[in-house]
Amino acid sequence: MSEGALPKDDVVLRVDDLQKSFGGLAATDHASFAVERGTITGLIGPNGAGKSTLFNLISGFYEPDGGTVEVNGTDVTGMEPYQVAEHGLIRTFQTPRKLEGMTVREAMLIGPRQQPGESFLRLFASPGSVGESEAANLAEAERILAEFEIDHLATQPATDISGGQMKLVELARAMLAEPEILLLDEPVAGVNPTLAKKLKDQIRRLNEQGTTFLLIEHDMEFVMDLADPIVVLDQGHVLTEGTPEGVRNDDRVIDAYLGGGT
Amino acid sequence: MSLLDDPQGALDDLTRPEGWVLGVSVTFLLFLLVALLTGALGPTYFLFLVGLAGMYALLSLGLNAQWGFTGLINFSVAAFFGIGAYGSALMTASGSPIAGGFNPLVGLVVALVVAFVLALLIGIPTLRLRADYLAIASLGLAEVVRLVVLNERWLTNGSAGLRGIPGFFAGWPVLSTFPEAMPGLRVEVIPGSPVILETAFWQASLNVLLVLAFAGAAYFVLRRAHRSPWGRVLRTIRSDEDLARALGKNTYSFKMQSFVIGSLIMALAGVFYTHLNLYVGPGDLDPITTFYAWVAVILGGSGSNRGALFGGIVIVTIREGTRFLNDVALPIDPAPLRLLLIGVVIVAVMRYRPQGILPPQRELIWPSAVDRGGTPETPDTGVREQKGGGDDE
Repeated sequence: MSEGALPKDDVVLRVDDLQKSFGGLAATDHASFAVERGTITGLIGPNGAGKSTLFNLISGFYEPDGGTVEVNGTDVTGMEPYQVAEHGLIRTFQTPRKLEGMTVREAMLIGPRQQPGESFLRLFASPGSVGESEAANLAEAERILAEFEIDHLATQPATDISGGQMKLVELARAMLAEPEILLLDEPVAGVNPTLAKKLKDQIRRLNEQGTTFLLIEHDMEFVMDLADPIVVLDQGHVLTEGTPEGVRNDDRVIDAYLGGGT
Repeated sequence: MSLLDDPQGALDDLTRPEGWVLGVSVTFLLFLLVALLTGALGPTYFLFLVGLAGMYALLSLGLNAQWGFTGLINFSVAAFFGIGAYGSALMTASGSPIAGGFNPLVGLVVALVVAFVLALLIGIPTLRLRADYLAIASLGLAEVVRLVVLNERWLTNGSAGLRGIPGFFAGWPVLSTFPEAMPGLRVEVIPGSPVILETAFWQASLNVLLVLAFAGAAYFVLRRAHRSPWGRVLRTIRSDEDLARALGKNTYSFKMQSFVIGSLIMALAGVFYTHLNLYVGPGDLDPITTFYAWVAVILGGSGSNRGALFGGIVIVTIREGTRFLNDVALPIDPAPLRLLLIGVVIVAVMRYRPQGILPPQRELIWPSAVDRGGTPETPDTGVREQKGGGDDE
């Protein structure tokens, strides 16, 4: 699907007046913003601004104290993470844990949603359909690995690849889940520049093919180059949002980062 | 299959620990054969031991389905074993304070249903929480079940236990009278030491048949399940539950399935034990059974079904083998030696091979990609056969 054909007001993710406190600390403080289909939206903010909390609220890992989250027009507030995922919102984690005893290829195959072989009874009742879906998923995994130019890793143990490669595998795996919107939590943290460049290219390519992204990133150069619009979070609420240039020149943003402010 | 087509190739394919296990097993079997032929080991007793080995194999397979697959820490192996044993005994025993006298098949079904319900009851509140909570709750459950069995005399006969339990095949056509119908045999392979096979022997053979059927079925079901997409989700949960959740897997449901299936297999071990021993008492619910099952799984390699089988057999060998030390003059009593020996084995395994003797990698999909030492190979059975071709570039 081509990006230009999409109506501008098509919102994939809408966060409305979201609140979450831990003890007396309002980690998310009446945060509202929307992610439009076909964009790469950046979510930035100084340390402790509540970016990760917001991710956890959106993806169902935390239950909000108030406010709503909508994915594709469906209210997913308070749903379990797996239910949110079934509505097309997939997320990655800041520090991917390695899957023991699996090859990269096998670790990829967890990606596809609703596999027939994930039903214990079907394994024995209709092994044929399980086998067919496995073969199809495997072919798709191989195709995506090749697209990501990491097919040479396929038979490596998932515990043996580097952190940066793991990030690529994570992104590739998330694509197997066919997300409408993909939330990336610091995709290039601790990744060497070459791999970071590769990741950026992949994200851009996937975006052109129709995937919407929302990403947290501390690497300003990376996020300013890739994302548009950018949402700035400070102390749990949305400080401002806009184009990279607009955000870069906004005094409030500079204050928030430098701790100048009031 | 492959072993018959190409025995040499199959042997070459083995990893070093596999070869080692095979070697030890063959040596041990030869030793047992000699003991049997010379009359040092009574054939009926030998079959009883095989039955016990099968029972421990079931217990460790069950625990492996929980801990090895999914990382669930269950300290109530003995409770589920006891539920199986008592469930079946209460339905079938002539001395049962409640029902009694039913066909053992009814006992089997009742035992499994009770174990199923109990697993659900303990799983529902704990499986949504962190792994440690199941561990704590299961520890409590084991004690509760044991104390209920010990104290609720109207239900379980209390400390006196249950007697008058029929064999599993009582009431079946042909098989119920099979032991009596078989003629007594006198086999003399080594002149001067005849081996006599009588009714008790045939009875024991039936039991061995039963446990082989149970353990075999459990093994093949688990093997298929562990490699499948279902098992893949469990293995993901074991490493990183949040990842599985983020990718749309209902991890609570998967953990529940893994817990229930494991518990049912443990109960199956209990059912078999009832009809093997023909007596059950509260002592059978002692936590030592849980301990043995854990040792077997860790020894064999967490997550490995073959390892669980192997571990179960090793446990019985140590447990029962030390009985023969009674005949040897030892400065200490062999009974405590047994636990000491198991302790030493565990320490040695942890020190030199923390992943266990037969770690699961070789059982999984693309073994060559995991075990770098091995030769490349295609997957051997199951669904994945059709896509083995993708293995080599």
